[in-house]
Amino acid sequence: MNWEIKTVAMFASEALREGYLGAAGYIILGVVAIAGFLAVLGMVLIYAERKVAGHFQCRLGPMRVGWHGVLQTVADTIKLFLKEDIVPFQADKVLHILAPLFTLLGTLLVLAVVPFSPGMQVADVNIGVVYVTAVGGFGVLGILLGGWSSNNKWSLVGAMRAGAQIISYEVSATLALLVVVLFSGSLKLSDIILSQEQGWWIWRAPVVGLVGFVIFFIASTAEINRTPFDLPEGESELTAGFHTEYSGMRFAFFFLAEFINMFIISAIAATLYLGGWMPFHIGGLDGFNAVMDLLPPGAWFAGKTSFLIFVLMWFRWTFPRLRVDQLMRLEWKILLPIGFVNLIAAAFMVMFGWYYGN
Amino acid sequence: MEIKFKTLVAPEIKRGCLMGNMFNALGSLWKGMKITIYYLTHPSTVVTQQYPENRETLKMMDRFRAQLTMAHDENGHHTCTACGICDQNCPNGSINVVDRKNPITGKKELDRYIWRMDSCTFCNICVQVCPFGTLEMKGNFEASVYDRRLFVYTLNKYAGPDQKNLLKIENLDDRKKQMESRDIFGGPVPLSGQSIAGLEAGVFDQLRKTEEAATNG
Repeated sequence: MNWEIKTVAMFASEALREGYLGAAGYIILGVVAIAGFLAVLGMVLIYAERKVAGHFQCRLGPMRVGWHGVLQTVADTIKLFLKEDIVPFQADKVLHILAPLFTLLGTLLVLAVVPFSPGMQVADVNIGVVYVTAVGGFGVLGILLGGWSSNNKWSLVGAMRAGAQIISYEVSATLALLVVVLFSGSLKLSDIILSQEQGWWIWRAPVVGLVGFVIFFIASTAEINRTPFDLPEGESELTAGFHTEYSGMRFAFFFLAEFINMFIISAIAATLYLGGWMPFHIGGLDGFNAVMDLLPPGAWFAGKTSFLIFVLMWFRWTFPRLRVDQLMRLEWKILLPIGFVNLIAAAFMVMFGWYYGN
Repeated sequence: MEIKFKTLVAPEIKRGCLMGNMFNALGSLWKGMKITIYYLTHPSTVVTQQYPENRETLKMMDRFRAQLTMAHDENGHHTCTACGICDQNCPNGSINVVDRKNPITGKKELDRYIWRMDSCTFCNICVQVCPFGTLEMKGNFEASVYDRRLFVYTLNKYAGPDQKNLLKIENLDDRKKQMESRDIFGGPVPLSGQSIAGLEAGVFDQLRKTEEAATNG
């Protein structure tokens, strides 16, 4: 089957031949689409998280606003809009105001390259994987700034923890990403997906794919500060960590970025290891592949991503939080060595062609 | 007297190899995840009560302590002998046992059993120390009232001898004569004959009825 990749950026560049106006229209379309998607997805994820968390803990979750509480997040959003926005006395005002925007910006920029389906992507950058890693690191800048500018010891400790944690775990996550880059031979996200037409890398690269996926998933969970790696927030020790002093919309920005990051790492993990929007194909079985193609690619992407999001929620409501030393030990003594061995093994496998469908 | 000591050895913490530890850790994490997914997939494990909506069908836990009551049998007799052990043991003086001499036999008997809910901590000591099993904690938790004085309850429904002494009297009419009716809010302590604004006459009968319905049902 021939997949035709269309992105908003392509349309914009085509329209540029006619004039600036059309191109600007497409760019605005892309931005509005991402912003709208961000807002809606944030609300849906928060509702889903609360509902799932409730049932994980023998509770019901939100039940009062709307049918089974479906309007609860809408009500919460309105509340956050109307709340007073407090900047603490003697805080660095400019940085305090900028910090949540930086965090949200990192999230927003990654969202621009996430391939939802062959015809639904804002931009298909040819260095997609590098872009995702680089821009994803933007979030920590916002967290550090927020913690520092708040002029509060809890905030500062939380922000420093976040900095140490994210910088450490970024290494493992990137090493795990490189495995897929080696196998697919491209940094472009659409090329990586197309290279999985004969099967997803998680099983086509025996053992190495699975190990890489697990390392990437754990490291990314730590990178977005989710339980069991939520030390930067650590309610029991640091009140709320880096966003102790934030309220109203600025707090909502941090919160939103956290939830959208959850979507992003699920989407990236699905794209790299589980074939993104590519249906489940087994190389050689054309009849089986044709049956799998009946489902549209967008549905495959949504299914894989929501499954991974559910696993993240499952982690969060089951595991206890790590200690700081345990966190660092897990990264530098366990994940990183395994990641290196995995990468070298992957390099040999690519060199000698030891993987399925070669 | 010879004392035998038993030597206890602290169990040694086993530290396996790296891979062993890793798989053990993954195994134990999976164990926890299995429990939470069981809760998620079995909605019958939910313990949350949708309270105001399910008020009709709500059943409180047997051990929930929300209201002190005095047990009365089917004839309306209680087993309180006005011994006052509960009064003495109450840590915050929420219980007053008022006794009196029986006008006919001259024996000590219960006049009023006064319980102040507003100072009660529901510690359950009164129920535990009662040698006759007279007191009971019930789960009727809807205790809000508009006047503080309504927190002072008279628990016994009649002043008079306890069940044992009443059953010695063969004639039913004579028994009835020994039992002087007591109102739940009608004691000398709480209202002292005053009326409460907004409450009409006869309201105590109504309150008592709802109280009885709540404690029995």
